Amino acid sequence: MRESSEAAAVQPLDEWCRFDLFAPTPEHELLAASLRQFVEREVEGQASEHDRSETFNLSLFRKAGELGLLGVTIPECYGGAGLDAVAAVQLLEALSTSDPGFGLALLAHSFLFAHNLAVNGSEEQCRRILPRVVSGEWVAGMCMTEPEAGTDVLGMRTRAERDGKDWRLSGVKTFITNGGIAPDTLGDVFIVYAATGERSLSAFLVEKGMSGFRLGQKWCDKLGMRASFTAELIFEDVRVPADNLMGEEGQGTAHMMRNLEIERLTLAAQGLGIAQRALRVMLEYADQRKSFGRPIREFGQIQRHIAETYAEYRAARAFVYDTARRLSFRSAGQRVDADAGKLLASQVAKRAADAAIQVLGGNGYMGEYVVERLWRDAKLLEIGGGTLEAHQKNITKDLARDPSIVG
Amino acid sequence: MKVMVCLKQVPHQDARLDVAADGSWIQEDNIKFEINSYDTYALEEALRAKDAGEAEVVVVSIGPDRVTQALRTALGMGADRAVHVKDPEADASDSLGKAKILAAIAKQEEPDVIYCGLMADDGNFSAIPPMLAELAGMPSATGVISSEASDTSITVRRELEGGCREVVELPRPCLLAIQTGANQVRYASLKGIMQAKKKPVDVKTAADLGVGEQVGAGAAKVKINKIYIPPKSDQAELLEGSTDEIVTQLVGKIRELGVL
Repeated sequence: MRESSEAAAVQPLDEWCRFDLFAPTPEHELLAASLRQFVEREVEGQASEHDRSETFNLSLFRKAGELGLLGVTIPECYGGAGLDAVAAVQLLEALSTSDPGFGLALLAHSFLFAHNLAVNGSEEQCRRILPRVVSGEWVAGMCMTEPEAGTDVLGMRTRAERDGKDWRLSGVKTFITNGGIAPDTLGDVFIVYAATGERSLSAFLVEKGMSGFRLGQKWCDKLGMRASFTAELIFEDVRVPADNLMGEEGQGTAHMMRNLEIERLTLAAQGLGIAQRALRVMLEYADQRKSFGRPIREFGQIQRHIAETYAEYRAARAFVYDTARRLSFRSAGQRVDADAGKLLASQVAKRAADAAIQVLGGNGYMGEYVVERLWRDAKLLEIGGGTLEAHQKNITKDLARDPSIVG
Repeated sequence: MKVMVCLKQVPHQDARLDVAADGSWIQEDNIKFEINSYDTYALEEALRAKDAGEAEVVVVSIGPDRVTQALRTALGMGADRAVHVKDPEADASDSLGKAKILAAIAKQEEPDVIYCGLMADDGNFSAIPPMLAELAGMPSATGVISSEASDTSITVRRELEGGCREVVELPRPCLLAIQTGANQVRYASLKGIMQAKKKPVDVKTAADLGVGEQVGAGAAKVKINKIYIPPKSDQAELLEGSTDEIVTQLVGKIRELGVL
């Protein structure tokens, strides 16, 4: 009964046309299905509460660890799944349809820390640390920003000096996602960038319990991403064993640059998730809400919000997934598109959330309808992991260096 | 213990369905498919049996290439291996033909328990589980909401009308048709997804199973002549007002029709 002559008459598309940019292999398809269920069942119900209380949901984080979601791109030998950047983008898009704040905590743990270590660390360091990070037993983060140095990384004041075979590290890092897990509880392990000479940065693995390493202030009253714990971390003459220098001395900038592409793409993916959810909310509301006896989706002004958001979301999504498809973890090469993807997706997210609030009117302004939270969360993407201005600078520089990129 | 789970892949619950031009079935091009929701509960019940002790879980499905995705999902969730009957003739069979194919697999596999979903989200026949049980010579229970295996039997709770429950003990081997909501279906972990790649999927035809002559469109006793979307009618009238006013109007209408 299924083999209708009509179906048989349809000319099959060429194989390449069947390629699904958003789930290119059976593994990606399965991951998408699992993520949909995980978000619906475990993430959605807790999101508003953790936004309001500004708390990190450690038990949900560990559940994500049990499912393997903390080690998507980490090699299987260290407990990860060994998947690619497309899987990473799928993960962050899915989580950010529901709880971008939780997504950011996972991003800092899995990509700013674990992925960075997996690519740049020694086998001994990976073997010692990654399994505990991938399982969620340890909560991890990355420390770059300082009170007086953000985009200008070479201006950082945190310093590390040799002390025999070991190192002594001093300084203050701020706005560190996962810096703490709960008030008075420090995160477990961090990659800390520090100056080790004139215009020379090195990366160190600093673990909770090292003498002189402590939690500073917790940043309260953040605009958005409140389900992630943002803290100041203080390093007072911390003795770091030689084994905890990541890679070679002076390679910090190279490590940072090598990790930037996946960081930016996963942050861009957060923007996609926010835009997707904003779109769904406004579409549903515009169908149900009546004004002058008609659903408001019949009004041109509302249609403009919906249609523009859809077109922007689709364009950003195709761009980010296509860049992820081309990304290699071992060599740089997608910097301009990783920058451009985040530049686009972060602004699309904010515009989408803004449009959704406008469509929902007074209801959109209220927490119950989610979009106000998305609007607050979206703003971070224009600042964190590279400001819009940093992306604009990088893109222009890269295009000037190689105009053939334009096509 | 070995358990066999029968899975059907059906159009995704969010898919937009259109009737095919010849009216024989829906248009299947360019829509998403998923495992029949009843079958996901059957699979979960089987995986719980595996979690509780030693059991090999074999998932079985009939359908074209796209069915591989359903089987991979099941393998990602924890099933051990899969049998894919990929054969246009098998697809064209009626419920009895498909039950014969599944019975032929059961004969080869010799499972201690066969888990099926109570019905399929698309066809709604509820026909294959009892047919398969009969052909495989097994006792069966339908509407099962939980099962517990001992060495020689399985005790199940069944859902009856009006919220009643019934407890039934079946000797093994047997077939259980699982109701939706019987359990909370797990999702595939990343580890499971990566392992699924390495698990075997055995592809067969009806002829391989020795039932080639007994199945297919020619052997079907039931044929779908037409499926259609009921025509829209403008006969509906929306009653408005307070509850009391609506009730009064409604009673008036019923009296007008002479029903009361």
